[in-house]
Amino acid sequence: MTHEPSPPTAITSNDYVIETRDLGKRFDNRIVAVEHLDLRVRRGEVYGFLGPNGAGKTTTLRILLGLSKPTSGTANVTGAAPGSPESLARIGAMIETPAFYPFLSGHDNLRMLAMHAGIPESRIDDALDQVDLSKRASDKFGTYSLGMKQRLGVAAALIKNPELLILDEPTNGLDPAGMAEMRTLIRTLGQGDRTVLLSSHMMTEVEQVCDRVGVIRAGKLVAEGTIDELRGHHRESLLVRTDAPDAAQLLLAATPGVSGVDIDGNQLRIATTQDLVPELNRVLVQAGIPVAELLWHRPSLEDVFFDLTRNQDDDHPSTHQHEMERAA
Amino acid sequence: MIGSIRAELLVLSRRAATWVLLGCWVALAAFFGYILPYITWRNGDAGNRGDRDLLDMLPENLVGNMLGGFPFFGGVLVLILGVLAVGSDYGWSTWKTLFTQKPGRLQVFGAKVIALGIWIVPFVALSFLAGAIASPIIANTENAAMNWPDAWLIVRGLAAGWLVMATWAALGVLLGILSRGTALAIGLGILYGLVVEGLISALFDQVSLLKPVIDFLLRANAYSLVTVLGASQEQAQANGPGAFGGPFVGGMQATIVLGLELLAFVGIAAWTLRRRDVS
Repeated sequence: MTHEPSPPTAITSNDYVIETRDLGKRFDNRIVAVEHLDLRVRRGEVYGFLGPNGAGKTTTLRILLGLSKPTSGTANVTGAAPGSPESLARIGAMIETPAFYPFLSGHDNLRMLAMHAGIPESRIDDALDQVDLSKRASDKFGTYSLGMKQRLGVAAALIKNPELLILDEPTNGLDPAGMAEMRTLIRTLGQGDRTVLLSSHMMTEVEQVCDRVGVIRAGKLVAEGTIDELRGHHRESLLVRTDAPDAAQLLLAATPGVSGVDIDGNQLRIATTQDLVPELNRVLVQAGIPVAELLWHRPSLEDVFFDLTRNQDDDHPSTHQHEMERAA
Repeated sequence: MIGSIRAELLVLSRRAATWVLLGCWVALAAFFGYILPYITWRNGDAGNRGDRDLLDMLPENLVGNMLGGFPFFGGVLVLILGVLAVGSDYGWSTWKTLFTQKPGRLQVFGAKVIALGIWIVPFVALSFLAGAIASPIIANTENAAMNWPDAWLIVRGLAAGWLVMATWAALGVLLGILSRGTALAIGLGILYGLVVEGLISALFDQVSLLKPVIDFLLRANAYSLVTVLGASQEQAQANGPGAFGGPFVGGMQATIVLGLELLAFVGIAAWTLRRRDVS
């Protein structure tokens, strides 16, 4: 894929470390990877960039780093055009699998990057310490396990002491203990003024680490907000299991405070508020409808994610939350 | 820029392939420049033991004798070095790592090219050193004259050797960037040196309109440059891979053409690298 260079125009904003407007990327002028993407990452936050495989996450990150040029729209990263030396000087990044020279040691790979970036080599040891890789720093990168490669990738992103850290699937290939360590590390790195953009499809990771989340589907941002805001959009509900679902549906639909009842086999999903649960239970029991189970369901981020990202062919996804965010 | 060059020198110097290619080239230069010809001369019959052959191996013909191997054997080896210097970054996906550091793409690429140019210096110097060790041994063994070429000729020989090798290495860089890898680029480069340029020369020689193009081909100018500095035209025309039968052009034209080709190969590679997306 080639095209004439067209550096995206800079948009000045002090509030956002990353700001894109109507960003788009097509391959071979037909395959849409990113479309009309308006992404805003605030200074100092840990922003989760969620989406299924092939949704356009990595393509977006590549555009933000200047590795890939957008076919439409504009982007501003740390106050400069993506890929410009001014922007890259403030960014530490790890995109997909960490890529280093296999014949160089971990330490020499970082030394080589430090020379390119014009930063003191004294930072290398600190970065290696932060990712707990000091003991293997003199071994060749080609001998590292996948987890160690991931950690070296993070160390490489840290040696610039960056204002913005872009991490693409940083826990890929890590064992559960390594994943927990990486999450702790990301939380630590995200403290203070540093901004972290974390791309992932691991819900737990994002839920535990991120302040705000953007969900991308088929190249479009379909939702954006805090995790609670996204959950709020996908309302909590009451789940009722009964042997008489049809009778229960008729009864509950007519009950004040209930705004909707869906049936799925023996299970009813009732749109209502939590304080009405005892009353609804009483109504069902008084009507002689046997209640096998009552459960107040609070949607997880995973539920929200699946809801937002299923039906890939739907051209008009919910953008309600995103629009609310924009209005705010 | 200095930091980037240091970084790329670190990468090239820690890479085993660089040392293997350097070792191969120096061994080949010594073997085909002195050892094999001397053994042949010592064991040949009277018709093959003319003084001319021995003279080629004596110190006074150091420059011409060493340069004779540069236009093909040396060229192909540094072409491989050029391909590896940039093509491997596609295989290892290290372009993305390099391009997300502070310097722009052109600075990273420029540092790679300069580091490559610096690394060609030992390729030239060590092959001359091998000749400078082998030729007096032969002269001493055969009780021949121990006359060394003048310093200016040695300097011009070293510079010409560097230019020939740098142009081949730049062709390797271009092929590595265009093919985004190493295997195809190395194959195409060797094919060009062995077959393609010869075929083009033969074909264009039959068409008067295209005949002048022959004077601008890489091997033609490389061979022309080294023969001006004492390499044997007869040896260039001798049978074997990479043999060149002329026409030869003047030394100045050869220098200018090789210099322009070097710049063109690097320029096209830089332009291509800058405009492409990096995966």
